Amino acid sequence: MAYAYLFKYIIIGDTGVGKSCLLLQFTDKRFQPVHDLTIGVEFGARMITIDGKQIKLQIWDTAGQESFRSITRSYYRGAAGALLVYDITRRDTFNHLTTWLEDARQHSNSNMVIMLIGNKSDLESRREVKKEEGEAFAREHGLIFMETSAKTASNVEEAFINTAKEIYEKIQEGVFDINNEANGIKIGPQHAATNSSLAGGQGGQQAGGGCC
Amino acid sequence: SLEVSQYCCMTAPQYLNTSSNWCLDPSFSTLGSEPWRQQVLSVFLPCSATDVPPEVLRHREAKWLEMLNDWDKWMSKRHKKVGLKLRCQKGIPPSLRGRAWLYLSGGKVKREQNQTSQSGDPKWLDVIEKDLHRQFPFHEMFMARGGHGQQDLLRVLKAYTLYRPEEGYCQAQAPIAAVLLMHMPAEDAFWTLVQICEKYLPGYYSEAIQLDGEILFALLKRVSPVAHRHLKKHKLDAVLYMTEWFMCAFSRTLPWASVLRVWDMFFSEGVKIIFRVGLVLLKCMLGSQEKLKACQGQYETMELLRAIEPRYMQEAFLIRELAVSERDIEKEHLSQLHHWKETRGELHCKSPPRMHGAQAIMAAEPHSHQDLQQKPTIVVEERTASSSPAQGGEGGGSRNSNRAHKEKKSRKSSASPTEKANANPSLDNHSYINQPELLLRDTPLQGSNQTLSSTEHDTYL
Repeated sequence: MAYAYLFKYIIIGDTGVGKSCLLLQFTDKRFQPVHDLTIGVEFGARMITIDGKQIKLQIWDTAGQESFRSITRSYYRGAAGALLVYDITRRDTFNHLTTWLEDARQHSNSNMVIMLIGNKSDLESRREVKKEEGEAFAREHGLIFMETSAKTASNVEEAFINTAKEIYEKIQEGVFDINNEANGIKIGPQHAATNSSLAGGQGGQQAGGGCC
Repeated sequence: SLEVSQYCCMTAPQYLNTSSNWCLDPSFSTLGSEPWRQQVLSVFLPCSATDVPPEVLRHREAKWLEMLNDWDKWMSKRHKKVGLKLRCQKGIPPSLRGRAWLYLSGGKVKREQNQTSQSGDPKWLDVIEKDLHRQFPFHEMFMARGGHGQQDLLRVLKAYTLYRPEEGYCQAQAPIAAVLLMHMPAEDAFWTLVQICEKYLPGYYSEAIQLDGEILFALLKRVSPVAHRHLKKHKLDAVLYMTEWFMCAFSRTLPWASVLRVWDMFFSEGVKIIFRVGLVLLKCMLGSQEKLKACQGQYETMELLRAIEPRYMQEAFLIRELAVSERDIEKEHLSQLHHWKETRGELHCKSPPRMHGAQAIMAAEPHSHQDLQQKPTIVVEERTASSSPAQGGEGGGSRNSNRAHKEKKSRKSSASPTEKANANPSLDNHSYINQPELLLRDTPLQGSNQTLSSTEHDTYL
């Protein structure tokens, strides 16, 4: 399907925080409590609309366990957005955020938009991490923040779409070099030929070649 | 090369599964599964293998029993070793698969050497417990939260972290352990897992998988330059597509009949089987310009590799001739290791050298003449008393007869697909349990308190 832009996302965070469930809820609009453990990588894609433009999101969902960490680093490359997920019912998953963040910052491009997500907000009675703590962490590290529930779908759309909006704004501000695929952004085949106004700020003269 | 001729002389019928097997295929789901898994399933069903005629199967069972009962002799005679390899290629009879895997991997020897129970700090317990319901979640054995399948899985994985505390638990061990548990009791599954982690795929659950990714990629250049070029062009690191394949020995990728067949050969011949399957899949999916036209991009290529055409995943197709030998792998291993050291420095993990299959393992750790000894968990009281087959097992004294009975029932219902399909419904439990023995010696179990070891119980039921 034709799209104006394609953004590559990654989802990272400790094992069992609900990364795969978030992806499934976003791409398929369903929650699957029983599923295979992610080993290596899973992925999904969906089209969204921002500012009247069709944007395709390609989302890579990674294995969370420490022993996969060195493998996970291959996924960081060329991602425009990252969802960094913790589980609000497990304090340790929140405590590990710093490590994840360091890893992400070190192995990805510096403009990558990171959305911090406190997942499992439906499990209020088992909450171990206050919403304010998540907000504070996000503020401190310059991330966007949301609490979501992959189970009830609460805020799931918003999390993915707000991340895309942020990326889109950065493109308009000329922060991203959209002709460099290593930034996780691709101009759609049709769009590249017909509309160079957005690409104008950044190497728009080459926009026509951005289709591959 | 040498390998080719052996593959060519394989005889039909090579299939072991019956058409009724699919219902316990772990990829089958009544609850709705991920789309790609469903895809695999729907196309897998019609091609789920032709039957091996019962007489052929019985003949094979008899041969295998003969082999297993004289394992040390078999493994020490050269011409017989070749025969063994061939028999594994044909597929191990489902009724003896668990025992054969245990013997081939050298797990039996390991078990005999390590009689003491381990104790230690189970710091990995939390992580393992979170994963228990995420292994073949639609397989009857692992479906129930806290059910016996999940309990056994916990025991096996926990035991490994106690056995190798410095390694701990890697999530990819769980599907391996789960497949083993579908075929053998927990203790055997544990020792077989140990062998896989230390002999077949050493270091996989830390860094070595990446090195094997490089080796696979280098071998691909020879097998399919087109596919190699494509992956290189799109900067698709091997770890992106081969991690799950190799770490889980294809147990989550292939249709079930193929998984078993690949595992039979893997236990016999070692990691080269995994490389071969990987190379066949890559070559078939990405090996021609026409196929690549539709997948220009990293993501598209990954999608394609996730939706492998079913015909490429059929048993017979997968094991066709593709000459990658141990030597090729070892050679490539050295050169990639060299490259690794140049570009990334020393490997962090020092894993033991890889062993290429049953023979190498046997040579390193000779097999004893000792028969397989199991702590019996099921005691058959009377051969004729078919109404109450199970009476109090031992199991550390904690099991009462009720529990043992229940366990027997649940084990029975969760027998692996092939095993189940081969059970003859017209036979009562006892005669079926005894059937393989009858085949060999034609003497029924006698008297009361005849015990069935848990292995026999598991594999024969």
